[in-house]
Amino acid sequence: MHKLQSVTRMPLSCSMFLCQRHIQMLRKFPIQKVAAIHTTNRCLDLNEFFDEHKNWGASEVKVGRAWKKEELRLKSSSDLHKLWYVLLKEQNMLLTMEHDCKENHVYFPNPERLDKVQDSMENLEDVIRERNIAYFELETTHTGERPAELIDNAFGLKEVYTKTEYDIPKEVNKVWQEKNPPVNNKSRAVQKFLVLLREKLANRRYAQLAKDKQQVARIFANFKDVDAEAVQEKFPNVDVEEVRLSDKARGNWAP
Amino acid sequence: MRFTSVLYRRVRKYVAADQVGELTKTYSNLPDRYINRVMRQVYHVYPKGPQYTKVDQGKDDHFVFGPERPWEYEFLKRNNPADYSRKFKPPPLIEPIKNWNIFKGDRVEILVGKDKGKQGIVLQIFQEINSVIVEGLNTYLRDMNQGEGNKFVIKQEAPLLVNREVALVDPSDLLGCEVEWRYTEEGDKVRVSKRTGRIIPIPKAAYETIDFKTPTSYKENPNKDTKEADVMEVTFKPSLSTFEMDIMKEQNIEENRIPVKSFWY
Repeated sequence: MHKLQSVTRMPLSCSMFLCQRHIQMLRKFPIQKVAAIHTTNRCLDLNEFFDEHKNWGASEVKVGRAWKKEELRLKSSSDLHKLWYVLLKEQNMLLTMEHDCKENHVYFPNPERLDKVQDSMENLEDVIRERNIAYFELETTHTGERPAELIDNAFGLKEVYTKTEYDIPKEVNKVWQEKNPPVNNKSRAVQKFLVLLREKLANRRYAQLAKDKQQVARIFANFKDVDAEAVQEKFPNVDVEEVRLSDKARGNWAP
Repeated sequence: MRFTSVLYRRVRKYVAADQVGELTKTYSNLPDRYINRVMRQVYHVYPKGPQYTKVDQGKDDHFVFGPERPWEYEFLKRNNPADYSRKFKPPPLIEPIKNWNIFKGDRVEILVGKDKGKQGIVLQIFQEINSVIVEGLNTYLRDMNQGEGNKFVIKQEAPLLVNREVALVDPSDLLGCEVEWRYTEEGDKVRVSKRTGRIIPIPKAAYETIDFKTPTSYKENPNKDTKEADVMEVTFKPSLSTFEMDIMKEQNIEENRIPVKSFWY
C-alpha cells in the first residue's frame, strides 16, 4: 500500500498513457486529497520505469549524443560503475515507454534515444575491457579474457572456438570426451564438400563481377565524361579501363 | 598471425547505415545504430542461438534511395518488402562522384530546365542520389488531394543533379563556375573557382544540424544531458588494479582466497 501511494501522485489526465493494469490499480486505490509541500524529490518506486510527466505525449524530447570512448577514458572505475547503472535505468525507462506507446497506439518521441544509450553502454564496456587487458598483460603477459582458438570444424571450415573453464584436465574428463568426440575433417567426403563449396563461392564471385562490369558499362554509356577514377574507386574489382573501351560502354552520342 | 588477423578483422557493423551519405548523417545527428535499425525495418531482435530463426532479423541491404531521408516513411514505402514489382525494376544508375563541391546555403546557378540561368540558395542535400534542392526554383505542381472537398495543389522543388544540372556561383562576378579543391599556405582545404582563382568559402549553414546551428549554441536538456564540465572532469587515476579490484576496494570487500588451478579447453 505504501508503495502504491506514489502512483496516485500522477494526474488522471496522464493515465491514458499508462498500461491497463496501472489504470486498474488507480481505480482500486482512491486518490489521496493531500497537498503537502511540493519538492522535487527522487521517487524510488515503479514510477522510475516511466519518463517525466511533461514528456508524456510530447512530440519531441531533445537530447545530446552518446558517450564517446575518449570521454569515458577520463573517468575512474567507480564513476564508470555508477554511470553504468544510470544508463541501465535510462534504457529500462525507454523500453518501458516504447512498449507503453505501442500498446496505446501513441507516437514514441525520439526513438534514437534508445540507440544512444546502448551505444554508450557498449563504449563503457569496451573502456573497462581495455583497462583490464592492460593490467593482465602487464602482470601475467596474457589478456585476462576468455581464451579462443581458430579451429577447423567437422566440415573443414575455419571457426573461432571459445574455450570453457573446467576443474580437471581434458584427458581425464570423460563427460566432455563423450560430448566432444574427435572429428575427422580430412576425410574424402569432407574434401569433396569443400571442393563443391569453393566452386559455389567462386561462381557467386564471378556472377557478382559480371554484374559489376555491366553496371560500370551502363554508367559509361549513360553519363558523358564520367570520372573514371571515381568509378574505379566504387568498383575496385572491375578493370574499368577495359570495360570503358568495350562496345557495351558506348553511349548514344558521337565519340 | 593468421589467428589474430581473423579475430581482429574490421567487421562492417551497420551495413545499411554505411550506404547513407556522410552529409545526411551529420545533419541529422542520428547514431548509425538507429539509422541501420530503421532502414532495415527491424522491429524485434531475437537473442542469439540455434533455436531462433533469422527470418525477421531485418530486410535486405539493397536499398533504392530517393529525395527523402532514409528514416522517413517515404523511404520505407519505396523499399517496401511486400512490393513485388520492386524485384523486377533495375537499380537506378547513380554516377560516382569523387569530390562533393556544393553544400547547404551555397548560391548556385541552374543549368537546365525552365529555370535555366537563374540563381538560388541550396536548401537541402540528398547525397545518396547526388542531388540538391534549390529554394523556389525548378518547381512542379504537386497534387495534394486528400479525399473530396479539400483539393489543393502545392509548388514543390524537384531535385537537381549536383555535378551536371547545377553550378556554383563565383562571388566575385556572380556567374557560374567550375570548382577545384586546393590547399592554402596554412594547410586548409578550400574551394577555388577555376575561372577567377578566387576562394569560395563554405557557408555557415553547411555546418548546421537539425538540433543546433553551431555546437556551442546547443541548449542542454537539464534533466537528460550530462553537463559539459562533468563530462570533461578527469577522475581517472592510474593504479595497478583491474576494474573489479577497484570496485571491491571501494565497497570494502576483501578477497584473499587463492583460486584453484583450472583448465581451459
